[in-house]
Amino acid sequence: MNTKHVARLALLTTIALILFTVEAQLPPLVPIPGVKLGLANIVTVYAMFRYGPRDALLILLARVFLGSVFAGAMMAFLFSLCGGLLCWLIMIPLRRILTEKQIWVCGVIGAVFHNIGQIIVCVGIYRTTAVLVYLPVLMLSGILTGLFTGFAAYFLLKWLNGRL
Amino acid sequence: MIKTRTWVICIAAAAVMLAALSLLLLTSRKDGTVVQVIQDGTVIREIDLSRVSQEYSFEVEGPEGGSNTVLVQPGRICISEADCPDRTCVHQGWLTDQPVPIVCLPHRLVIALKDPAGSDTVSR
Repeated sequence: MNTKHVARLALLTTIALILFTVEAQLPPLVPIPGVKLGLANIVTVYAMFRYGPRDALLILLARVFLGSVFAGAMMAFLFSLCGGLLCWLIMIPLRRILTEKQIWVCGVIGAVFHNIGQIIVCVGIYRTTAVLVYLPVLMLSGILTGLFTGFAAYFLLKWLNGRL
Repeated sequence: MIKTRTWVICIAAAAVMLAALSLLLLTSRKDGTVVQVIQDGTVIREIDLSRVSQEYSFEVEGPEGGSNTVLVQPGRICISEADCPDRTCVHQGWLTDQPVPIVCLPHRLVIALKDPAGSDTVSR
């Protein structure tokens, strides 16, 4: 990994971290725990298609770790980590089957799996299946926010055209 | 390669199905009036809402600091105060007979209706 590449990944990590931190300051839109825009997902999708799974994972892990440190919440760390990893896993096969114009689909499916990962952690921590009731609501919110972040990543890839 | 139209149809169908399911879950009602206050996987309090005659409140301390104030009124329960940053649990409002629990993620607190013996979590 040469210096230029490290600098690029660091820049992307910083952007993801800023999105993550700024988003955490926004008041919640709906009173449902776990529903959020997931702006940092834009960077994950971007890195996945621009640089591949390995680099996307590096950015994801750095962002989740540093984001939790800055937010000072260890609980958030577990949720972000499990959601992020599941999201990353599903993106690997998607990267192969999606054409350039379908990159936004990756944002949608990634967001849905992020929310599934969060619910899994939730059931594990609370040891109650009562929270499973939230799954359809969260998956729906994943589709909607994923459309937004997916298209954002798609236009980003198109406009930057390999310059970052 | 899968056509873009196929993706659009699949995602739209999934969205519609999930929306219907969410609506069904959010508007459905459950039998039973006993709520459980669950912290970190253990039930710390059980309250029969139908037997509450006078309003009262109590405080629940989180495992890593932080607290939630739970308010109980005849037939309903809510979290009235919390010192977590997002206060989603407070915004969730009253729990009466809906299957959707009140959740405070940072303090690992769940308030949910207890399942009547033998029935499924998501009935009706």
